[in-house]
Amino acid sequence: MNDNGCIHLSNFKAAKGTNPYKIVHAFFVSCTSFEARRYKATSCLCFACGQPGPRMHSCLHCIYFACYAGHIQEHSKSKKHFLYVDLSYGNVYCTQCQDYIYDRELTEIAMSHRLKEAKSLGISAPFMPWLPNTNEALALRRLRKRRLISPHTTIGLRGLQNLGSTCFMNCIVQTLIHTPLLRDYFLGEKHKCKAQGTGKCLVCEVSKLFQEFYSGAKTPLTLHRLLHLIWTHARHLAGYEQQDAHEFFIATLDVLHRHCMNGVEDTEKKENGRCNCIIDQIFTGGLQSDVVCTSCSGVSTTIDPFWDISLDVAGPGSLQACLERFTRAEHLGSAAKIKCSKCRAYRESTKQLTLETLPIVASFHLKRFEHSSQIDRKISAFVSFPAELDMTPFMSSHRRAVDVGVDNNNAPEGIFEDNRYSLFAVVNHLGSLDAGHYTAYVRQMKGSWFKCDDHMITRASLREVLDSEGYLLFYHKTVLEYECDVS
Amino acid sequence: MTVNNTIAHQRLILSGDRERFKELLRKRLIECGWRDQVRMLCRDVVKERENSDVSFDMLVNRVTPRARALVPDTVKKELLQKIKTHLLTQKDQ
Repeated sequence: MNDNGCIHLSNFKAAKGTNPYKIVHAFFVSCTSFEARRYKATSCLCFACGQPGPRMHSCLHCIYFACYAGHIQEHSKSKKHFLYVDLSYGNVYCTQCQDYIYDRELTEIAMSHRLKEAKSLGISAPFMPWLPNTNEALALRRLRKRRLISPHTTIGLRGLQNLGSTCFMNCIVQTLIHTPLLRDYFLGEKHKCKAQGTGKCLVCEVSKLFQEFYSGAKTPLTLHRLLHLIWTHARHLAGYEQQDAHEFFIATLDVLHRHCMNGVEDTEKKENGRCNCIIDQIFTGGLQSDVVCTSCSGVSTTIDPFWDISLDVAGPGSLQACLERFTRAEHLGSAAKIKCSKCRAYRESTKQLTLETLPIVASFHLKRFEHSSQIDRKISAFVSFPAELDMTPFMSSHRRAVDVGVDNNNAPEGIFEDNRYSLFAVVNHLGSLDAGHYTAYVRQMKGSWFKCDDHMITRASLREVLDSEGYLLFYHKTVLEYECDVS
Repeated sequence: MTVNNTIAHQRLILSGDRERFKELLRKRLIECGWRDQVRMLCRDVVKERENSDVSFDMLVNRVTPRARALVPDTVKKELLQKIKTHLLTQKDQ
């Protein structure tokens, strides 16, 4: 295999350009249109033996299809055509050199066709490995220091001082720092801020925090600046008493989301009416609510954004059971009649919640604190939660398919969907309602868990994590899809 | 390939589902580490013959049997089951 092309390919390109390759590739390798797929489906058979393989190639000179079991060699001998495109992978084979030839220009054409194909089929774009641009390559050459990540590396782990009942903040900060996609965003220095240097932007503060966590230093950090920023922007959390970690989590996301907008032009802010700041890209999902009128069966559907899902813990013994109950149709009863737009009257109805779109990070809040006028209490009931969670059963599309029934089968739609999630952080509340303490388990890398108890970081096993009580559970999408970015 | 097979194959290409299955398979093979394992196998072969040219055919001949054996059963089963379900539901329409 030759990285510098070959004389035969160079001569061919000099005489005929890249157009012959473009045409063969767009029609028979990565079909960029329905028409192309029709050609590919019907005509990819060896002209010599009529078989669809092994390893079909097309002659680049005259679009003659031949298999690798001798027929491209035959064609090459009789016609003196040396270049062949592999129809499965798009690589160019030279019969003179008897090998595949790499060519940068052709590789770029192939990649752009693959993206177009993915777009025309509505599937996620193929993974493209990171290639450093000129600046990045220069920086890599200049900075010689490298860090090797091994299973024993403790990089990214740092304790946090308790500033007086601030464990509620510490456990949420540990969770955010160990959110894979958020980490990649901040370590990639993607936040561009207009308010930079004023000390007023929480996103900048978090950005600095990531640098501190990954600096390699081991002493515990003090988060007084962060705490002060949140106090000024979420006034209801200000004060020296213990706060609810869940409330703090939501307030922090809200302030971060608002501050993300600091550096952004108004025109870039929204895409299809949805905010595309990093917080919304990672944490926002869509909750669908279907209200069905019991008299006319008319459905009224609304979709609302959500950052987390709060689940009742009394009764069910597992997270899946909680979710099952959360997405079950519920009869609203005669006391809660809703005006049906079809009947033009107040009717009894049923309501069902399902997940219309899933966020990249799915956050679950187990409602362990019950506040009522009579009593405030903590429910310590055991709720098991898995390390790997499939969210498919709770999706709107899945529920629809189940309701319609098997004969009108919509299930194949779901074949290519991947809604698997992996646990990466668990926040626990220990003790009673008025004298409690928060700790967090975080996954530092696959299979490697740590317990964060303010300034103390200790190694933990997955078993220990799964056996813990669980107050806030954080799951990250296992496989990320890539968006097609072709116009 | 029988006539039925050919028709099924053509339909898979036409609907784009063949590409979707291919992408699914590609994803699974990356996830389970198969691609990295095969890359290591290829490196070993290339290293063995450090001083001579390595051709694609030679690499394929050496690596394919081992690479095939490395595909996890769970991946094979998932793909087989999904393709089967898919083809059966297509037939009804």
